Amino acid sequence: MTTGRCLCGAVRYELTGTPIGMYHCHCSQCRHANGASFATNVIASAEDLKIVAGKDVLAAYESSPSKQRFFCSRCGSPIYSHAQATAAIVSVRAGTLDDDPGFRPNAHIHAASRAPWTEICDGLPQNAEGF
Amino acid sequence: MTATCLCGGVRIEIAGKLGPVVYCHCTRCQKANGSAFAANADVRAKYWTMAQGAELVREYESSTGVFRAFCGTCGSPLYSRRAATPDVFRVRLGILDADPERRALAHFWVGDKARWFDIADALPQFALGTDEHAQEIMDMTTAAMAKKSS
Repeated sequence: MTTGRCLCGAVRYELTGTPIGMYHCHCSQCRHANGASFATNVIASAEDLKIVAGKDVLAAYESSPSKQRFFCSRCGSPIYSHAQATAAIVSVRAGTLDDDPGFRPNAHIHAASRAPWTEICDGLPQNAEGF
Repeated sequence: MTATCLCGGVRIEIAGKLGPVVYCHCTRCQKANGSAFAANADVRAKYWTMAQGAELVREYESSTGVFRAFCGTCGSPLYSRRAATPDVFRVRLGILDADPERRALAHFWVGDKARWFDIADALPQFALGTDEHAQEIMDMTTAAMAKKSS
């Protein structure tokens, strides 16, 4: 089992099972949502993510119709996203993981949208758009 | 140049050049951004205008005197500021709406780097932060400027 939390520690989660994937997303939405060069997301079964503390401070923003991005309303840490169209999975923001989860990113997606200051130098597969 | 949060509620106007772009791998930046590392640059207060959404901005004091600002509506990390240096805002590059025409100088706090992330580029790597390596940043910036003008 892997655990994670936000910066202030109010929101804590447990992630069980084997994730479906882990990838770097360079889309403009992820960059703005994370304030970062790109987001790194762990794709897991929705039932494998359990919020164990801080449900009351977890805020949601609907970034696309029926897709919500959850963040800690106290410190702002992005935690995960969930879309009705893919209700069985969640996308957990890897920077909130506490320890080495034992799995690694395996692709870049939306590579064509990458930030102008970002060069992709690793050997991972790159998708110009999403999956 | 403008910087906006994901929902567009907060808009910042930056009227001058950014300072050196640095990649920060400290655990606080990882948590605050939910990402492998943060991409940050200092902006002088005289170039900085909170053009829209000041009432939406929330701040979290992550260490004494260090405030990390985010949008209360969508959660986008926006910038950090220090009480001790009120003339500087450290913007999160992911919220920029255009190419800042600055490229990263180096990686900092690589000793705290996420274990699941490998640095694949050839930029210099420093164990500690920008305060501890201020002289190296100065030297790299000077060297980059000299290269540009030659």
